[in-house]
Amino acid sequence: MTEAQSAPRAPAASQRVALMITCLADMFYPEVGERIVRLLRGLGVEVTLPAGQTCCGLPLFNSGYHDEAASVARRTASLFRDADAVVVPSGSCAWMVKHEYPGLLRGGADATAAERLAERTWEFSQFLVRRLGRTAFESDVEGPLAYHDSCHLLRGLNEGAAPRTLLANLKGAQVVPLPGSDECCGFGGSFSVRLPEVSTSILERKLANLEASGASCLVACDAGCLMQIRGGLARRNSPLRALHLAEILK
Amino acid sequence: MTEPIVSTPLRERATKALGDRFLHEALDIATTKFIALRREAFGNFPEGEHLRDRARAIKEATLQRLDTHLETLVANVERLGGHVHFATTAEEARDVIVDIARRTGARMAVKSKSMATEEIHLNEALQAIGVTPVETDLGEYIIQLAHERPSHIIAPAIHKTKGQVAELFSRELKRPGLPADPEVLTKIAREELREKFLQADLGITGANFAVADTGTVVLVTNEGNGRMATSLPRVHVAVMGVEKIIPSMTDLAVFLAILAKSATGQKLSVYTTLVQGPRRPGELEGPDEFHLVLLDNGRIAQLAGTLRESLYCLRCGACLNVCPVYRQIGGHAYGYTYPGPIGILLTAMLNGPRSVKDLSHASSLCGACADACPVRIDIPRMLVELRREVDDKGIAPWTERVVFKTFARVLRSPRLYRWGARIGRTAQRPFVRGGRIRALPFFFGAWTRTRDLPPVAARTFQERWREL
Amino acid sequence: MSSKTDFLTRIRTEMAKTRGLFAASSAERPAQPAQRLDLLRRELSERWPQTLERFRAEFELVAGVFHRVATAAEVPAALERICRERHARKLVAWPAEDLGVAIAPALAGAGIAVESMPRAAVADTERRRLRGVIADADLGVTGADLAVAETGTLVLVSAAGRPRSTSLLPPCHVAVFDREALVESLEHLGLALEAWHEGVPPAERGAVINFITGPSRTADIELTLTRGVHGPKEIHAIFVDGGLSRHG
Repeated sequence: MTEAQSAPRAPAASQRVALMITCLADMFYPEVGERIVRLLRGLGVEVTLPAGQTCCGLPLFNSGYHDEAASVARRTASLFRDADAVVVPSGSCAWMVKHEYPGLLRGGADATAAERLAERTWEFSQFLVRRLGRTAFESDVEGPLAYHDSCHLLRGLNEGAAPRTLLANLKGAQVVPLPGSDECCGFGGSFSVRLPEVSTSILERKLANLEASGASCLVACDAGCLMQIRGGLARRNSPLRALHLAEILK
Repeated sequence: MTEPIVSTPLRERATKALGDRFLHEALDIATTKFIALRREAFGNFPEGEHLRDRARAIKEATLQRLDTHLETLVANVERLGGHVHFATTAEEARDVIVDIARRTGARMAVKSKSMATEEIHLNEALQAIGVTPVETDLGEYIIQLAHERPSHIIAPAIHKTKGQVAELFSRELKRPGLPADPEVLTKIAREELREKFLQADLGITGANFAVADTGTVVLVTNEGNGRMATSLPRVHVAVMGVEKIIPSMTDLAVFLAILAKSATGQKLSVYTTLVQGPRRPGELEGPDEFHLVLLDNGRIAQLAGTLRESLYCLRCGACLNVCPVYRQIGGHAYGYTYPGPIGILLTAMLNGPRSVKDLSHASSLCGACADACPVRIDIPRMLVELRREVDDKGIAPWTERVVFKTFARVLRSPRLYRWGARIGRTAQRPFVRGGRIRALPFFFGAWTRTRDLPPVAARTFQERWREL
Repeated sequence: MSSKTDFLTRIRTEMAKTRGLFAASSAERPAQPAQRLDLLRRELSERWPQTLERFRAEFELVAGVFHRVATAAEVPAALERICRERHARKLVAWPAEDLGVAIAPALAGAGIAVESMPRAAVADTERRRLRGVIADADLGVTGADLAVAETGTLVLVSAAGRPRSTSLLPPCHVAVFDREALVESLEHLGLALEAWHEGVPPAERGAVINFITGPSRTADIELTLTRGVHGPKEIHAIFVDGGLSRHG
């Protein structure tokens, strides 16, 4: 059961959602953001973008700089103050907001804002399936797809089902199982550069599993995972691809 | 403080481990099997989830009344004719055991596997007074011959291939040409050690639980050496962390239902041995003296500390098997007695935050450990807390602190953030080829040595928003 | 050297600083375990065939060898068959009163020596001799206080006449039991343990209780399973349909 299931489903039309673009998508994968916006608008959802977004603060939090993380969280929470619903293209950022914001900002002026934001935030696949109740899409990509569970989405937000439902219902797509789909890709934020050899070794295992799956494309719901996996595939000049779920759905 | 802080940086130790082909193969085989066994065991056990919750609750509840339970345990062990000793430090624990060995005229001690005795470095202390400690658990026997330390909490020699074990036995036991056959090698260990069991003066074990209500010390084993060490020699010493106390036999049944399943996928380990003091007057066998050494060594301080939850640990090793880092580097690279995810927390508990300056970052925070833990210890949460402690206490390099504080400033200011994107775009130009970055200087090389990087987009999403 | 007071003082100091992580309680214990165990036994006696079947399946899953005989009188013959198959000539055994059946005379007739363990205390020299006998034996015969169906586990409480190593040192262990020993689950085992410790334990009870689930094993080398590491390589259970005689 996902935490987000406590909120009621709402029909797509007359829905309004604020997009938390995340620093990685903003800087490196803006096309993912664009596709999300087009997709949601196509479903009749109005998408707003609170201005001046930076980061959810997860990198600061994970490295133990909690005061600094709180200062960034405060700002982000305040930016999304007026949103009825917030959608995030990354499992890790959604986790940060839902799981850690309330604790980080407890006792301060933004405590209530943080609690409310935590309740109203959805990771992208969760938003489609659980909030909008939309599961049927067409595939925009050829070749067999394999889904990689990003750790924060799977274990942090208890969400292994929503992305799989979307892929299973994807018209014109073949989905194959990925061995060790629930195994970490080795990104882990600063871990990827603090212990780069170990991070790469973990990545190699993921890539070997991808090759074994017979898929031509790996699908994930986290920019961090994608940066790591694409980085490895590109370095090998691999014909295999790694895409965000939003880049698959049409 | 138990162990000296390892001076070689973790990254170096880890990289060295990654280069060990045999280790890589051995780890892959072992951890993959362990994972499958555990999954199957719990897959066939619908009550498992509920029992895990109950086990976790029992651990927490016990800590909330640890003083009472400790008193009850001591009273009952003494009523049964046993002796209880209280060791605040590793040194005290060693001293009391050495004392017992001396007083009872022991010349040889058989040891059943005990991470607690590894933690206090007992063997060296025994050797120093002329008592030969003989490890009898097959995995411990192997590493004792190899002069190594355990690399896994329940399978100490898991880093060795059977070929390596055969070679080791051939060399150290003077039996040249042994085949790489686990059956043959196990039979040899059985032969070599049988005599030792029968002749030993002293049996030293750990303990998985101590049931306060009945003064019972519980050993969970598979080989039979635990039974031998607690029945054949005339003195038995059990060393146990104070957090292993549980209130009752009913509680014990809850833990037994999930412990072996988590560790090896067995419904129960082959032997569960309940020791209730020295042998009774009518008994043919059993020690004349029973000693329980209760070990603090940093545990009590965590009752109100950030690592309290790690006191629930059953030492099953499930977290090691699923950890992406452990699976790549193995146990020795961690550098201390306890490896793997829980090992990092225990290292901090025993040796202080300085010992986990690097280790607290030996994790991608994937959470697989918390998932696998039978008592649902939230290891990632505490790893982050340790990182925080390392930062707050100035143990992390000041340069890092500066970088993160600057980073936070940028993230609080949309203007600085936008500038950051622009600077990135400019700075990256010489390095972008064919839409990718393949090499970057300095610190960033840590990524690009093995992976490509995407370039900062020509226009960020927020910059494109107006046109969407 | 630290004292109990040192520990308690420090524990209490730390405990005072925190209420803990969440509201929790340890397992609820039965108020009158001996009575409850009695009740449980009566319930179980109605369905002992199913419990036995489950025990057999689990026992075999952990590589136990299961035998079944109609009456206690057939136990020696079953034992003899087991002995012949592995050329066992020297046995150690619990005495007849503890086994619930006499085996020595019949086996002696078949040329198999059975040393029964003494029920009374013996001199140190005798203890040493017996240790040698047990260590030399080919097979050890015991009873079982409980047979837990859920896991195929035999529970043996040590006592005078029931020394621990009869089921440990010889390479083959045979346990003889009847329906009285059967319980279904680890939960029942917990109840039995509570019951056995309610009040003062009987004088002849020993200081160790062993749960035995299959033959001794290890997987310490490359996770390859091997049996008979230090303990027995084989374990057999002989179930006696008609029951064993109980001593007082």
